[in-house]
Amino acid sequence: MDRHCRIKWNMTSTSLEEAISELLDEFQFQRTTRTLLQTALETREMAEPTMVHEGIAMPHCRSILVDDIMIALGRSASGIPWPERGVRMIILFITPVKPTGPSEHLELIKHIAQTLRSGGAEELLSASGPDEAASIFKFTYGGD
Amino acid sequence: MNKVMEKLISLHDLDVMISDLANKDISRQEKKLGLYPEAAVAELRKMRDQLASTIDRKHRDMYDRLAGHYGNAVVPVVNQRCSGCLTQLPTAFFASPDRNDQVVTCPSCGRFIYWCD
Repeated sequence: MDRHCRIKWNMTSTSLEEAISELLDEFQFQRTTRTLLQTALETREMAEPTMVHEGIAMPHCRSILVDDIMIALGRSASGIPWPERGVRMIILFITPVKPTGPSEHLELIKHIAQTLRSGGAEELLSASGPDEAASIFKFTYGGD
Repeated sequence: MNKVMEKLISLHDLDVMISDLANKDISRQEKKLGLYPEAAVAELRKMRDQLASTIDRKHRDMYDRLAGHYGNAVVPVVNQRCSGCLTQLPTAFFASPDRNDQVVTCPSCGRFIYWCD
């Protein structure tokens, strides 16, 4: 999948809210946009924590505040309560609301689900660095 | 940004989230990931109602009417056009530095519009 992602390899967050904020920091959002996206992602987590595998969470939403798919991977060596069980890897993504939005959103979820279910989850948890983590999903990674 | 406008954007994103989770294909993929979209939708509906109740009646009714009619009640301005109906907006609309400090609607389609600065 030809998608670009940001990676925060040594996260310092100690809570779900901090972790979402730390990963949103990887992007250059205007202040209000950032606050609203944080709220949307936290709301989704309040409805149901998105722990998709032991040790892996997938906070995500679709929003009119972004024009392109935004993906950030985060890794915490010590684990982050989500909200109780600890997660060491976070796959955060926000997809846009536009005519192609629902299908892009679906394709990305499908791709992540297939990857995790075909051994990617274990590979991700044992990845030795950002390059390896990005390659598991066939994402490119880095800054702008 | 105007507080009512912020709430309308959040309401819109919540409606998108609810409709996504009610979508059969997305729901199936979320279940494959071990999530429970039906439970999440029920919770999100409660949160949506809670948020909607904090918006004044006039704007809430407008939002519901526009969402019912167009499917989306809030849209960004892109290249000085309403991205809902693509109408070019009058100069006075985007010349103001505090344009996001008020609730603005498109003069053509009536959707709520905001600027991504």
